[in-house]
Amino acid sequence: MDRRLLVLLIVVAVVGLALPKLIYPIVAIDVLCFALFAVALDLLFGFAGLLSFGQAMFWGGSAYVVAILIQTFHVDGALALLAAVAYATLLSTVVGALVVRRSGIYFAMITLAIAQIEYFVAVQLKDLTGGENGLPMDSRGSFFGVHLSNDTAFYYLAFVIVALCVWLVIRVVGSPFGTVLRAIRQNETRTIALGYQVNRFKLATFVLSGALCGLAGALYALGNRLAGLEMIDWHTSGAVVMMAILGGSGTIVGPIIGAGIYQVIEYFVSKTPIGQETDLVMGLVFACCILAFRQGIAGGVLSLPWRKTST
Amino acid sequence: MRTTRVLSAVCAGIMLCAPLSAAPATAADNGPIHIAVITDMSGVYASISGQGAVEATKMAVEDFGGKVLGRPIVVDTVDHQNSATVAEAKAREEFDNGAELAVDLTNSATALAVAGVAKDVHKLAIVSGGGSSALTGASCNKYTYHYAYDTYALAHSEGTSVAKTGLKTWYGIVPDYAFGKSMLSDFTDAIAPFGATFVHSDTMPLGTTDFSTYMLAAKNAHPQVIALLNAGADTVNSMKAAKEFGLDKQMKIVVGLFFLPQVDTDPALWAGAKVADSWYWNQTPEARKWADRYAARMNGVRPGSIQAADYSSTMQWLKAVKAVGSVDADKVVAYLDGRKFSDFYAQNAEWRGRDHSVVHDMYVYDILPQSEVKEKDAWYKLVDTIPASQAFRPVAQSNCTKTW
Amino acid sequence: MSADYLASQLFNGLASGAFYALLALGLSVIFGTLRIINFAHGAMYMLGAFATYYGVQYLHLSFFAALIVAPLIVAALGMIFEVLLLRRLQGTDPVYGLLFTFATTLVVVNLMRWVAGAMGSPYEIPAALSGATNLGFTLYPTYKLFVIVVSIVVCALVWWFVERSLLGARIRAATENPVLVRALGIDTPRLITLTFGLGVAIAALAGVLAAPTTNVYPSMGDDIIIYTFAIVVIGGLGSITGSIVMGFVLGVLQTLGAVWYPPIATTLIFIVMVVVIALRPSGLFGRRESS
Repeated sequence: MDRRLLVLLIVVAVVGLALPKLIYPIVAIDVLCFALFAVALDLLFGFAGLLSFGQAMFWGGSAYVVAILIQTFHVDGALALLAAVAYATLLSTVVGALVVRRSGIYFAMITLAIAQIEYFVAVQLKDLTGGENGLPMDSRGSFFGVHLSNDTAFYYLAFVIVALCVWLVIRVVGSPFGTVLRAIRQNETRTIALGYQVNRFKLATFVLSGALCGLAGALYALGNRLAGLEMIDWHTSGAVVMMAILGGSGTIVGPIIGAGIYQVIEYFVSKTPIGQETDLVMGLVFACCILAFRQGIAGGVLSLPWRKTST
Repeated sequence: MRTTRVLSAVCAGIMLCAPLSAAPATAADNGPIHIAVITDMSGVYASISGQGAVEATKMAVEDFGGKVLGRPIVVDTVDHQNSATVAEAKAREEFDNGAELAVDLTNSATALAVAGVAKDVHKLAIVSGGGSSALTGASCNKYTYHYAYDTYALAHSEGTSVAKTGLKTWYGIVPDYAFGKSMLSDFTDAIAPFGATFVHSDTMPLGTTDFSTYMLAAKNAHPQVIALLNAGADTVNSMKAAKEFGLDKQMKIVVGLFFLPQVDTDPALWAGAKVADSWYWNQTPEARKWADRYAARMNGVRPGSIQAADYSSTMQWLKAVKAVGSVDADKVVAYLDGRKFSDFYAQNAEWRGRDHSVVHDMYVYDILPQSEVKEKDAWYKLVDTIPASQAFRPVAQSNCTKTW
Repeated sequence: MSADYLASQLFNGLASGAFYALLALGLSVIFGTLRIINFAHGAMYMLGAFATYYGVQYLHLSFFAALIVAPLIVAALGMIFEVLLLRRLQGTDPVYGLLFTFATTLVVVNLMRWVAGAMGSPYEIPAALSGATNLGFTLYPTYKLFVIVVSIVVCALVWWFVERSLLGARIRAATENPVLVRALGIDTPRLITLTFGLGVAIAALAGVLAAPTTNVYPSMGDDIIIYTFAIVVIGGLGSITGSIVMGFVLGVLQTLGAVWYPPIATTLIFIVMVVVIALRPSGLFGRRESS
């Protein structure tokens, strides 16, 4: 692995470990969940070249699964998390089978539209989901009998889960599988000519991304003790795309940094007189990023010349 | 070394942001008491609540003397951006950092979320913005009071008022989300004693902007009343479609949820509609006196019912805190439960202990055409007063599982 | 259910299809030349509605003047946007165009919320078009008929312009082979800017037409833009004919669907999209895509 990437990862991990001491613990949990969400999205965009504008369907859908199981059916927390991941995996397999045949803008538009179906279904299943009121949970439920009402304790549990997932993604993109993905991104026709079943690779990536987005959303719902409609909204899909690209698409560590910065800016902007204008601020920042700095923060850092002794 | 420097800069940048919030305010017993106004500061509810809610709460604090139990009172503004997750996280942070009371909570999703936090941390939330009757029903809890209105009260005030005039056939325009569903069932119950029924109701999904399909169907059904049981932009769009198809000339139009500041957005559109609310600024001399003081602070804009409720509830809470000599929510609840009062906002009011609904008289108004409006914001004409006992859900029918 | 009731609902469907067709058409015109999907199309629709509101409120324009002036103003803004900003993305992955216009949407919608508030602004149907017209079998709101007629006329004109006129041929050629077209002495960048302006103007026109019938508020374009995306996908990305036809067809389908089973209204278009991409990935009117 690139040493600069390693250094960045270590820095991010250290900041991550200290985070609940630095900011309000629930905000720290939000940062963590969005970091995984952004990494999962970028697995698709940064490595397979597929921009999904509908990942909120996995994030929000799994959040509802967790909230319904814990609040309504009093299922064990760990089991609920598993069920949420299973839901996201299943949904992403079905949706993926449909969309991986397309790419580019087409892919973005189709995923966006399909996510809207889940949104409207969630509103209409109001007896299950609470409709526009969302589904607050009385507690995070118990994990094998242990209650995780302490925010900091929950943060570290989530930290371990997220760290394992990020490690998984690093392993995947570093494997021969990841090499094929990059080949698809660079020249799909040639990869097909080499005999690869390109769509199968894309589908596998889509499912892995969907499952991780679902896990992230389920953790977010647990952290906030709430599943809400805005989690399936396309603005959420858009926000996570912004995080991934701002931080640096295709670098793994970038989306984590992007998610952190986005959440922290949102948190502090909301405390200022222009508090309502987070979207305006983020829109401006993102527009500048697309025009002038498409490699993002981590991309920028990683492309800086490394000192000679390291080569 | 350049990379290392950049790295440390990035690091420092992330760290720099942090200490700003790192120190949790110590809620020492002699420090200030915080009241959090959790509301929508810039979205669709900003004009019915928003800055006005903050200002009204501040007025209550000032009128009370700015201090209670020898401690200064600080009003915090919290913008929930109409997101339940934002509301829940920010409410938790507020309560952790010394807030003893959360008020306003406009929009049901945020109100239900914050009610859950209040229950969890044993601090008080008084809802005047959100209208879901679940707050005093399935989701009721010891630390949440519902102060201004709910779907039951709106439906029973307006339903009774219109049905008793002999209009028997109703047609419902119902949005397919939780609010619409409870409005329809509450209206159905309210008009039944008068022999009135919904001959049909159309349920349309969230996000419907073109209501012509349903208005045409309603026109064909020839009902005596059409009830628009939706909210916000949906109400505007359905009202526009109703007028386009000339429904206003054939039947009575009843608007389920409506607030005074909405008239300003399109006076011609609303003239002639019938609405229910918990308060109107020009209905009594005391109300008017308070409204004029409020208007002086808000560039001449008169308050709506939610803003008045925020003032009233804050004042009630401060008096309770003073009386029990503590901000402890359990003691304040023990004091408030069952207490009866009347003020400029609430008439014949009671802090009902059974389900934590704060009941009071409700009112039904006609919206006047511009030609009959004599001064700014004087859009309403009071047509009916519904006593608290009839307007709110009777204790005997409560579906609140009291666990305290 | 009587026949004239269904016929009236059919007209309601055409009226909502009129908006879809205009928006999808504008999106396709822009895609045809710039090869990007303009996410800000909904924001331009919203700006058209607000331009009408402000024009009537403060400049005392008549509605019919606004019908011309508002699209021109918004188109001018759009062209400035294209020349100053969007052009810089030429040569990059078209996905960045989508992302950039997405960011633009956030900025424009939130700026408008600052200016106008989130609640919405009043706008009444102009007197000349209010009331109802006798269609022989039923009375139908005059304004809705007006919307249908304007939309059909504009769609037909634009279709003729792009598919049949000389300038349209140049635009299409400029998309296929910009270098060659430039060698022939045609100013390609200017052609692109003008086409972008045309697409934006059509979106703004839809906004002007919407102003009297819906609440005018900053996020009014948020929902309709996603339906428009789905319609463009169904019709075939870049197909002018597909956009117009499917705009009207889906407007009618959605309305009749709502008559039959109201909860389906918001999802029907997306469900049709899913079926179409499963059976015919390049859309009903699209050419088979070459990758």
